[in-house]
Amino acid sequence: MSDNSRFSVTRRGFLGTSACTLAGLTLTGCESGGLRFFSDAEASEPGAGGSYEKFSVCANCVNKCGIKAKVVAGRLKKLDPNPHFPKSRSMLCAKGQAGVQVLYDKDRLKHPLIRTGPRGSGQFRQASWEEALDHVAEGLAKIRDKYGASSVLFSSTEGLQEHFFREFSAAFGSANHVRHPSLCLASGNVGFFSVFGTVPAFDVANTQYMIFSGANRLESFITPDTIDLVDVLEKKKAKLVYLDPRYTVTASKADTWLPIKPGTDLAFYLALIHVLITEELYDKDFVARYTIGFDEVAAGIAGNTPEWAEQECGVPARQIREIAREFAYHAPRSFIYKGRRTSWTTNDTPMRQAMAIANALVGNWDREGGLVPKQSLRKGEVDLDVWPPLPDQDCIVSMEEKHPLANAGDGTYLDFREKVMLDEPYPIRGWFVYKQNPMHSLPDRGLTRRMIDKMEFVVVTDIMPTDTAWLADVILPESSYLEREDPVVGFQDPYPFLSMRNKVVDPVHDTKPNFEIMQELSRRLGFPEFFDYKIKAMQRAQLEPFGLEPESLEATGMWSDRKERTYGKSLKEGYRFRTPSGKIELASERFRRRGYNPVPVYEPQDAIPGNQFKLLVGKNAYFTHASNQNNPWLHELMPDNGLWLNSKPAAQRGISNGDIVRVKSAVGEVEVRAIVTERIRPDCVHLPHGFDHISPLMSRVHGAGACDSDLLISREDHISGNAALHETLVTVERIGDGKEVHA
Amino acid sequence: MSRYAMVLDPARCVDCKACMVACTAENDVEVGYHRNWVRAAVKGSFPELSMHIEPGQCMHCDDPPCVRSCPTGASYINEAGGIVGVDEKKCIGCRYCMLACPYDARYFDEESGIVGKCTFCDHRLALGQEPACVETCPTKVRVFGDLDDPDSEVSRLMRTRNTEKRLAHAGTAPNLNYIID
Repeated sequence: MSDNSRFSVTRRGFLGTSACTLAGLTLTGCESGGLRFFSDAEASEPGAGGSYEKFSVCANCVNKCGIKAKVVAGRLKKLDPNPHFPKSRSMLCAKGQAGVQVLYDKDRLKHPLIRTGPRGSGQFRQASWEEALDHVAEGLAKIRDKYGASSVLFSSTEGLQEHFFREFSAAFGSANHVRHPSLCLASGNVGFFSVFGTVPAFDVANTQYMIFSGANRLESFITPDTIDLVDVLEKKKAKLVYLDPRYTVTASKADTWLPIKPGTDLAFYLALIHVLITEELYDKDFVARYTIGFDEVAAGIAGNTPEWAEQECGVPARQIREIAREFAYHAPRSFIYKGRRTSWTTNDTPMRQAMAIANALVGNWDREGGLVPKQSLRKGEVDLDVWPPLPDQDCIVSMEEKHPLANAGDGTYLDFREKVMLDEPYPIRGWFVYKQNPMHSLPDRGLTRRMIDKMEFVVVTDIMPTDTAWLADVILPESSYLEREDPVVGFQDPYPFLSMRNKVVDPVHDTKPNFEIMQELSRRLGFPEFFDYKIKAMQRAQLEPFGLEPESLEATGMWSDRKERTYGKSLKEGYRFRTPSGKIELASERFRRRGYNPVPVYEPQDAIPGNQFKLLVGKNAYFTHASNQNNPWLHELMPDNGLWLNSKPAAQRGISNGDIVRVKSAVGEVEVRAIVTERIRPDCVHLPHGFDHISPLMSRVHGAGACDSDLLISREDHISGNAALHETLVTVERIGDGKEVHA
Repeated sequence: MSRYAMVLDPARCVDCKACMVACTAENDVEVGYHRNWVRAAVKGSFPELSMHIEPGQCMHCDDPPCVRSCPTGASYINEAGGIVGVDEKKCIGCRYCMLACPYDARYFDEESGIVGKCTFCDHRLALGQEPACVETCPTKVRVFGDLDDPDSEVSRLMRTRNTEKRLAHAGTAPNLNYIID
């Protein structure tokens, strides 16, 4: 999430200098969230049994859309969209609507749990917070005393209370904290950053021509892009070219769907650049004035003709030419969309870099309908004047050596797991996980399970009894986003604004906000000064530069000093891009200095053997990663998953729709229902993410369907270290019809 | 008088099912039942494919067979707006209305023993709010309004867009209109 919440304070500056962050490249991980708040005139206090409405901010995915909570007699009745919210306007998706069940689901974590039986046995006992916190503090201190503070690994996922967890790990003295971006959008960020020195937004609402690669925006929602995309397509204001081996909903609404061979998108983009240059369709004035490296790109793509690309990616050369011409014709109201997906191949960053280069060539930078650099409102900070200790060790993954251009503070998850398994360069024996479920989000679940077995002490803070929590020694139940106050959040899209997350109701169960958990543990572990303030004071400090109080946001649930997206600031005389040259770098100096190709170079994809399939990951609009398949209102939309298999190979194997198939990869196998469909290339299969939870406490999805992480092999993008999730080959065989297996 | 209707644009629907969950939350619909739906159908063979996605719910017909078939008068047309409703006090759970409805828009709630269906969120209309499915829709597929008001958005859409009704041959005069151009 965008912003700078992670590095926002003087005090927080320290996070940028921990052992893991020597590279100091403060790439923004994802875009970021906001806050919440507000109560109406007749508001009564939460939990007092009153009836009232409050604006707040959703937390069921990363978007953080605006919500209005209706509380009746102390109980959350309904969540409506906040119409004032610039990012999400008047919408709330299925996940957001199901937020009511985040509070009231019988399966949620209700009190601290301490494991009493063997790991995985499910034997836990209920504990008081005092006891659980004492136990956690003792467990962490024991690892610290025995092996050193860095032998506790911390890992977390974005959220408005995540930075407290990051401060905690730094104050504890561990050099090892790994975050989600290397399971997310790290390669796209590094690719676009290399060219523009920032990661831009895309002006969907005002564009005329878009090219998307696998960015399934109509099932994987990003606000406001999803809203704007449907609008411009339905009104025929813009055309969409969509590349994806699957016929997704986005494919169905596109003007052109190209079922490209998986992993070959870079060939398509290099050929597109080839056409732009050889047919002189690029914006010569823009390239001359704002960029460097044109000649190097031109030389680099000399052999990447559309005819060459057709052989690689399967898109006809004629069509590549037409698309390149149309893309250039509509510029600057045209763009190639970055997307937010995981990496697909080990050569993913150059693919994203090529997208960025093609954008730059047609001069759509910082122009209406093109790419727009994000702007932020600079929030104030709580200045505590405390500094964390230097970690006792170096980070187990030397980001400087391995992925010097990745965001060092985020780490690269697969490298961390590998080092833990090898006990290199020193043993990791404790794991503190916040709001993350590595048992699902990392490829190769079997290996992650063995990683947990290396640990002497595992703590998980979450709102649900996830598969990772199921294997923990202590589970700390966090108050949900509806039961706590969070810091002020700055948004960047479509223009900068502030919001806050309000406490909608009192905690339903015996839970605590992460901030309080961090306060309590820091007191027990001897560094209480890091959390010696209140959230309300933090909100006040954050809002102070704008002359606002938390109450100032109550009327509309947001605040901004502007009303629309603006363009062109970075095109003014004297502007320096955050690249080594200060210009848009068609050939990246940053890459060159680190020994990478300064321009993107294609690596041919191995042919898919005839008896195998490429396994594709993907999402739909009902779930966020593996987090809410168990929500009763979402579960009934899709109770389990199945393997998408094209009808032709299905027929060859005697597989009918609904049959049970065995799917095998190099690291695991699953049995799952086959969904025989026309909606996927014959050489690919797709298994929707987030099913087959091992935790019986997730009562609705325990054992339901199959887990893609059981099959995915561990590969990472060379440059960013982002997990490359389209490198897995599988075999598929029929083992019976659905009735036989289920009977 | 009001004459409530919807105009729906299937081209805008992405099958996200936000409308279904919003309805569940707003109307306390038990898990396992829904008052509205989204259906998607794919045609063709790889890679020549097309997909049609379409949401639906009670069509609030002007001549509703569910009302005609109800032996107790529980199913009725509300004079204010033409909303087809079920009077919970009169419903005996015989389910004749479910058989009569050509749209399969009603369900029998085993818990309560009565029939449930879309109400156009009349309790929200009374507060000046739109039905929950309309308000929450990320891509604004549904437009709700009063056909007796010539300035309403539904009236404007009925004048300016080509629309059709589902199962028009059933003769029930439904009030959901689907844009086809």
